[in-house]
Amino acid sequence: MNKLQIFKNGVTTENPILVQQVGMCATLAITTSLINGIGMGVAVIAVLTGSNIVISALRKYIPDEVRIPAFVIIIAAFTTIIDLLMHAYTFALYQALGVFIPLIVVNCIILARAEAFAFKNGILDSTIDGLGMGVGYLVAMILLSSIREILGNGTILGLRILPEAYEPMMMAIQPPGAFIILGLLIGFVNYLSRRKNA
Amino acid sequence: MELVSLFITSFIVNNIIFMQFLGTCPFLGVSKKVNTAVGMSAAVTFVMALATLVTYLLQGLLVRWHIEFMQTVCFILVIAGLVQMVEIILKKISPSLYQALGIFLPLITTNCVVLGVAIQVVTNEYDFINNVGTANPSMMNLPQAVVFAVATALGYSLAMILFSGIREQLELSKIPKAFKGVPIALITAGILAMAFMGFSGLV
Amino acid sequence: MKNNFVKLAGILFLIGAISAGVLAWLNDSTKDLIAQNDAMASMDPAILEAVMQGSVMFNDYEDTALVETAKGENNKIINIMTAVDASGNELGKVVRTWSTVKGFNGDMELYVGFTPEGKISGVSVISHQETEGLGSKTTLPAFTDQFKGKDGSSEIGENDIDAVTGATYSSKSFLSAVNNAIEVYTKYLK
Repeated sequence: MNKLQIFKNGVTTENPILVQQVGMCATLAITTSLINGIGMGVAVIAVLTGSNIVISALRKYIPDEVRIPAFVIIIAAFTTIIDLLMHAYTFALYQALGVFIPLIVVNCIILARAEAFAFKNGILDSTIDGLGMGVGYLVAMILLSSIREILGNGTILGLRILPEAYEPMMMAIQPPGAFIILGLLIGFVNYLSRRKNA
Repeated sequence: MELVSLFITSFIVNNIIFMQFLGTCPFLGVSKKVNTAVGMSAAVTFVMALATLVTYLLQGLLVRWHIEFMQTVCFILVIAGLVQMVEIILKKISPSLYQALGIFLPLITTNCVVLGVAIQVVTNEYDFINNVGTANPSMMNLPQAVVFAVATALGYSLAMILFSGIREQLELSKIPKAFKGVPIALITAGILAMAFMGFSGLV
Repeated sequence: MKNNFVKLAGILFLIGAISAGVLAWLNDSTKDLIAQNDAMASMDPAILEAVMQGSVMFNDYEDTALVETAKGENNKIINIMTAVDASGNELGKVVRTWSTVKGFNGDMELYVGFTPEGKISGVSVISHQETEGLGSKTTLPAFTDQFKGKDGSSEIGENDIDAVTGATYSSKSFLSAVNNAIEVYTKYLK
């Protein structure tokens, strides 16, 4: 796969949320507003790319038997790095994302990419894969959180879009809305890809 | 009495999957059949209770040595170690269950539920010995942390088992191709979440 | 076999040690900025104004022994302070407290201000983890304004306030914090 294909793969063909359907926890919880979705997406890109790079660089030195614990340590370290940096430099976003920042470490996407790609490929390729998957994640987050914020609050990025008279669909911001809207989104994506392949 | 309301709150009112979204990946993956759901639930409950106990005590050390920033790394290592232990024990006691759970056992490590609960316990309300070093000087104690962990795990199990029963039925129903599998599962989960929201006036 | 184990453990330990080193360095570099952020979150002029109109500063209450006693008996209390205006005049007392009932995602941290007459001058959220667009609405004046002028000598009942629609947990948590402040105020500061 050439470099561009690797990147595109992460964003579309193997989009972590919409196609692979992993890493849902934060997706459902954080996407109550667009700014949060973007914030989390960017944080994940940072951790994912960082850990992919390090794991790929060290892949010849990490014995197979202990690779999972090794991955976990490295991913946890990057998560903590992002946590500290956000606490210091992007405080409002840090407060909004709350407990979900440390939870990036258990985001299945990151471990899955480490195992499936970074451990077996060169540094440059792994970087691109990390970026691609991260961007794919970000795109899905933007889609989902935009829908939820518009329906549930009538705003986007805090700016009013729908008229004041619009009675917000409270359910969209609450848990059931998250599940249902994500389900519909994935179903829709499935439908599109079936039509393409038919 | 407070322990009882804590139990009920963690078990259903604030159900970890339907209200807090933690643990969704394996939730969607393992809940296809009732017996794998039961097996997974048992494993998760055990790991969570034990992990909370250990991380709770560990947090005390982290605070004492002023290395709170190592929390994420240490907690996840504890959880990974415990899961490894469970895997080994399970292999010896019940090879068939071990086979059935397959890939999902190591996935408990990356299960947001366990780490999520561990962090909630030490961050939010449950301090350990005294107020030293934490931002939130709450004096919730070890018994409460354990009740919280067990109740949350049971809530997780409840969600999983309920859901797997429904999914077994869904397999037999006519569903548009694009929605088969995860999409319809998510929508169903959403409806279940609505039901669970009804509990919010309970405690 | 044993040799292999040692090698494996050794490599893991090395990775862990290097990670710990990097994190320790980063923690040290960002420590001050983080402490500043956390402090600023609670001393924003807008918050001060919302809690006690005209105040420019909250100072620690001078009777430190009393504060210690209060904190010892009520572990959700963070601090007791006096609000002062630009000339240094005391405008009233402020209690900084956690909620006693968890919100949707965690505890809420509040300032509750009391006028010398014992009425609530205003409340403001310092930190919370509630859902954006839902529970986070408890931080808005539309919700917090209703507490202004309420009697600070007795607990406020759930039926005496209007909760945020769809954010029952957050509203209840918020109220529990206010009532906790009231409890401390009536017990120690009246």
